[in-house]
Amino acid sequence: MAEPISDERWAFLLERAGLDPSKAPERFAELREGYRLLERLQKTVRRPRDRAAEPAHIFVHPKG
Amino acid sequence: MDPTQLSLAEASRAIAKGELSPVALTEAYLARIAALDGELHSYLLVLTDQALEAARAAEAELKAGRSRGALHGIPIGLKDIYKTKGIRTTAGSRVYETHVPSEDAETWVRLRNAGAVLLGKQETHEFAIGGPDFTLPFPPARNPWNLAHYPAGSSSGSAAAVGAHLCAGAMGSDTGGSIRGPAAFCGLAGLKPTYGRVSRRGVFPLSYSLDHCGPLTRTVEDCALMLQALAGYDALDPASADVPVPDYARALTPRLEGLRVGVVRHFHEKDAVAGFGRASMPSATYVETFDAACKTLESLGAKLVDLQLSPLVDYADANRLIMIAEAYALHEKDFRERPQLFGRHMFARIGLGAFLSAADYVEAVRQRRELCAEFAKACEGVDVVISANATGPAPRIDAVGTYNTFERASYTAPWNLTGSPALSVQIGFENGLPLAFQIVGKPFDEAGVLRAGNAFEQAAELYRQRPPIAAPLPGR
Repeated sequence: MAEPISDERWAFLLERAGLDPSKAPERFAELREGYRLLERLQKTVRRPRDRAAEPAHIFVHPKG
Repeated sequence: MDPTQLSLAEASRAIAKGELSPVALTEAYLARIAALDGELHSYLLVLTDQALEAARAAEAELKAGRSRGALHGIPIGLKDIYKTKGIRTTAGSRVYETHVPSEDAETWVRLRNAGAVLLGKQETHEFAIGGPDFTLPFPPARNPWNLAHYPAGSSSGSAAAVGAHLCAGAMGSDTGGSIRGPAAFCGLAGLKPTYGRVSRRGVFPLSYSLDHCGPLTRTVEDCALMLQALAGYDALDPASADVPVPDYARALTPRLEGLRVGVVRHFHEKDAVAGFGRASMPSATYVETFDAACKTLESLGAKLVDLQLSPLVDYADANRLIMIAEAYALHEKDFRERPQLFGRHMFARIGLGAFLSAADYVEAVRQRRELCAEFAKACEGVDVVISANATGPAPRIDAVGTYNTFERASYTAPWNLTGSPALSVQIGFENGLPLAFQIVGKPFDEAGVLRAGNAFEQAAELYRQRPPIAAPLPGR
């Protein structure tokens, strides 16, 4: 289980994202509870890869 | 007999023979909505006058000798993220509570041109992610098999309405399983077509690279008929693929002789608990039912082999991270300026995107390419793939937590990541509630997926069992 996020860290993250918790305090409190889930998602996708391993996005020239 | 007891295909054949009137069929569905939707909450807006007018026009065309095909005079519903010109489209959100679009979704244009009659706009989780949410002005839809239970989401209203016979078919959308989850919990056929097969234009996006539009119906044959009208290139949808559209109904066969089926067992037998903990343990009944369904496929002539892929968590978490990042980018302005308008679940789930980095997103998309390549390679020796859907029955609607959607195993998310066609088919019951598995295909092989699903469905005959709420109204 991830460590609870500190008040200082949480305030920093909100400010960096341009979010104002005073506009919806209950919503932001629940969002804080969910922050721990991001760690698992990040851990799952951040792994060693060859530098040449490209993302799934593709660009296809339109016809014509 | 009550015509709402017919499948979409049966009603279509009766209309074609002149044995059933589109007006009578539409009136019968509207009567059921009036009688039953007060407790089911599957519709946000019922279009009584418009539906009857469209049904009368459909009937007049038939009398004049003109038929538009299998959907002529068939009453359907649209998830309320499909834009309808001049008709309120809320996306299930206060942000769009009074929004009236000036254009139609391309899919609705195609269905209307094929003769379908629109009964109304159906309940959706907020922006196709935030539900079931009791903090919104729209009450969440209930499971037609047991009103105390969850119909899944986000195409919750569409699935509930089809399951309760409040429409013949409906349109859902699917970014991580929002067609196939509700299909599983409500005992329906639900098809997420290949990415690019069906236009997304005019449908509120959740995640551009993962969103798919598709039908929910009571049988696989019905799905085939709806897909026939929906499939095809749309030059104005950047993801649309210019690929020929086959005759889906013609592909359906009662036997599956020689069909090579890959079975991904490790997703539910091992990976669910290993990746997501014991709360994701499949029920014993589910495991037995899944195995029995595989045996049914063998009895139809299919050859089954086990497939080994990367762990489920690799697929599910890449899908979730991409979805959160893309959805947050889409809604960032409202998160900053008027966050109080969002419902509880939408805010908590998509708000996480504020804390992802560009590198997180790019890593997830790099992982996506690896997994797509892996799955394509695994499919080389098989025609279709079977994987679990929800591995237990629908929970009570009041037991669905805000973050369950990210904490628990998702068996549907992998096929959004790969963009593969995937069909949910009912395989049994547990505690009186439906269970399902998925049939997954190679890109643009919806015909193969529908063929396998139809043959299984006809052999298992579970579609004959309907929830009590689907019974004819008294006196009909």
